[in-house]
Amino acid sequence: MSEKVLNEDALFTFVNNDSIESEKIIAPRYSYWKSVFRVFFRKKINWFLIGVFVLLVLGAFIIPVICPYNPNENVTRATSFNLSPSAAKAYFAGDGTTLKWIFGTGGQGNSIFYGIWASAKTSIVLAIICAAINMVIGVIMGAVWGYSKSFDQVMLVIYNIIANVPYILVITVLVYVIGAGFWSFIFALTITGWMSIAFFFRTQVLIIRDREYSLASRCLGTPIPRIISKNIMPFLTSVIVTILATELPSYISMEVFLSYIGVGLSANIPSLGRMIQEAQTGFLVYPWEFWPPVAVAALITIILYVLGQNLADATDPRTHM
Amino acid sequence: MSSDVSIFYKTMKKYLLKRILFSIFSLLVVILTVMLLVYSLIDRRVIFQTDDVWNKRSNNERTFYEYTMYQKYGYLELANYTLFLQQKYVSLYGNSYVSNADFIADRNVIQDAEKCFDNETVQEFIEYYEGEGYTISYLEPLKYGNGRTKPGGTGYLIATRERSMFLRLWDYLKGLFSFESVNNVQDPELTDRYIRIEKDPYNGFYALVGNGTTHKYLIYFDSHFPFMHWNWIHLNLGVSYTKYRGQEITDVITTPTGDLRVVTTQYPAKIGTDEYVETAIDFHSLTYNNGTLTEAEMENYPDKYTVSTYRNNGLSMLETSFVIGIIATIGAYILGIPIGILNARKKDSILDKIGMWYIIFIGSVPSLAYIFIFAAIGTKLFNLPYKFANAQVKILAYILPTISLALPSVGSLMKWMRRYMIDQMNSDYVKFARAEGLSEGEIFSQHISKNAIIPIVHGIPASILGCLTGAIITERVYSVPGVGNLLTTAINGHDNGIIVACTVFYTSLSLISVILGDVLMSKVDPRISFETKGGR
Repeated sequence: MSEKVLNEDALFTFVNNDSIESEKIIAPRYSYWKSVFRVFFRKKINWFLIGVFVLLVLGAFIIPVICPYNPNENVTRATSFNLSPSAAKAYFAGDGTTLKWIFGTGGQGNSIFYGIWASAKTSIVLAIICAAINMVIGVIMGAVWGYSKSFDQVMLVIYNIIANVPYILVITVLVYVIGAGFWSFIFALTITGWMSIAFFFRTQVLIIRDREYSLASRCLGTPIPRIISKNIMPFLTSVIVTILATELPSYISMEVFLSYIGVGLSANIPSLGRMIQEAQTGFLVYPWEFWPPVAVAALITIILYVLGQNLADATDPRTHM
Repeated sequence: MSSDVSIFYKTMKKYLLKRILFSIFSLLVVILTVMLLVYSLIDRRVIFQTDDVWNKRSNNERTFYEYTMYQKYGYLELANYTLFLQQKYVSLYGNSYVSNADFIADRNVIQDAEKCFDNETVQEFIEYYEGEGYTISYLEPLKYGNGRTKPGGTGYLIATRERSMFLRLWDYLKGLFSFESVNNVQDPELTDRYIRIEKDPYNGFYALVGNGTTHKYLIYFDSHFPFMHWNWIHLNLGVSYTKYRGQEITDVITTPTGDLRVVTTQYPAKIGTDEYVETAIDFHSLTYNNGTLTEAEMENYPDKYTVSTYRNNGLSMLETSFVIGIIATIGAYILGIPIGILNARKKDSILDKIGMWYIIFIGSVPSLAYIFIFAAIGTKLFNLPYKFANAQVKILAYILPTISLALPSVGSLMKWMRRYMIDQMNSDYVKFARAEGLSEGEIFSQHISKNAIIPIVHGIPASILGCLTGAIITERVYSVPGVGNLLTTAINGHDNGIIVACTVFYTSLSLISVILGDVLMSKVDPRISFETKGGR
């Protein structure tokens, strides 16, 4: 028996104990944002939607620069009012600008096609500014609100007062009081708009604040700003994107709604809401004036919503498998 | 067990009381904020933009009219020299002051800008009101070169004092509720004042009848919504400034419209006889007549309660909105919840995919867009009436607004129901039920649905009470004569009174519905308690 036992020295050789190498952790490389976009672009529909959206944004920002929209250019030619696409093409045959009249003319002889792009620009800019203001204030306030207990008590009282007032009421009364300019409009949309985002965010922070790893971190003496930025925020990226996905299109809808009820942007600013409002009385008679702005508004909001939801799904680390 | 229940109700009562008190507090804050915004930041002259009287007047008369209107709408307190003068001379000479020479001289002196301030009574007036904190304004008489007064150029001497916002709020709150009392009628001839339950001669039932109160019938019943009618308490949310000039908003939205409804009935004095009349007068609405009665009135009425309103066939603004809203809400719950459950059960099926696209469409597209799409489909394909007023058959006019209102709620109910169901499907008790051998049908109908519906229940009071505020876009698109556009038309017409009234109305409805939602949820789910102790 003993002869058959192999010499242990023959089977094993010593390896140099490299203390630096042993500190390294061998794991597949993981980059959060790379994984997010890998998951996001795995869906073919997202490519398509981004393509359409880029076209829309480029159109909205480039076409008004090349071909400025002037709603009053034909205001003295009553014969050019409310022309259908084919009639407008015939009427402006000498102009050499067939694309301009592709959707016919509006109630003032204005080009619907140019109007849509100028209006879409206003709506997109408005939505982005409002969303940026509300999201930044809402997320920062929400994080502090969720983390600080004394701040929480004060804010809850304020929130309970404001949340009970219908949002429409706040906005309409504010627009009525401070006027209908572009910036006052943004002010009305953001003065209380961040509150609901902050409240939603506060609840999410509350849930994560007292998780074990956060507690452990606090016990080890990590300062609060670092806990918020390193322990809590990464967890809430998908929450932020989900809120953004519903917020962005909601401002476009809100502008359309407010213009329709007559408290929208002032008359000299072209906007989708104003175009819809002007065309809605004759929407059965002059459908070409009404449906293009509606379609553009619907298209922008649907694309933003779906893209946002898909991005929110992709930002959830659980989908990165 | 029974003590547990009583403790539960005790904590609930305490909790509810706290909630209600806080709600009242927040309502007060909201009213004060809106009043501050509307009454101090908005140029007060906008209320004259559509005022005919204001347009007809000119110069000093117009300015004076403005001041009287500001006083009427509570912006300021106004004192007029002429009234001051009258009071002074009445106290000196009684009713014969009109022919007194001093009086005439004092009255005419304000038409002479040079001598005006030398006058003793004018000095008295200025001294008195400046002492009270008023600002004196002298609207100098405007004259042509030949000494004749320009149109509207009469001189006025007035004193004004701004009202503080807290005083306005206090006035508003004081006027919010008014109760009938036996001393409401200021008539010394009326001696027998009472409030008692009497048999109602118009329907054989009982009614609370008053004598000395403004209304004769304080509480009565009839066959019309809301069946029990309250006259003894009156809610005054505010007075319209421009659109319904001077009318109370609560009256505007609850007054029925449409043709008069004539019924066979009897005058109050003729009850018991066989004298019947065909009339639209609603004898339940009788109020006290402060003037002298005519011959016919004396014959037809046993007392001085002779002023009445008429019966109408149509619905009031509030009822119109409520009818459309409640049908839409019920329809949405009947459709939305089962579809949501079905989609959750058959997750990723073709039906679920269609449902998801519908939810995305409704959730993201501006509501205006899909309401117009429904309108276009309804009018083109089904030949339904588009504008409410143009409908030949009245009932058909309700179809499109109701559908337009119901379909978005179906979408959101579907979305939440589906989501709550899927959340529940992964929980342990479902796995346990499955392990026990329950069929999928049983698990869904007996276990998951019951748990998933709890959060949905919370929204029911809000959707029912929400019907009272009407729907802004739907009512505008189809020109429904409802309450939905009260606020928006008020804003377009600078009707500050309605804006404040709407704020109070909408905010209190939403406060009430949140509290009711919480109570309802705790009734449906016994696990939810109002215990504040323990936990985090």
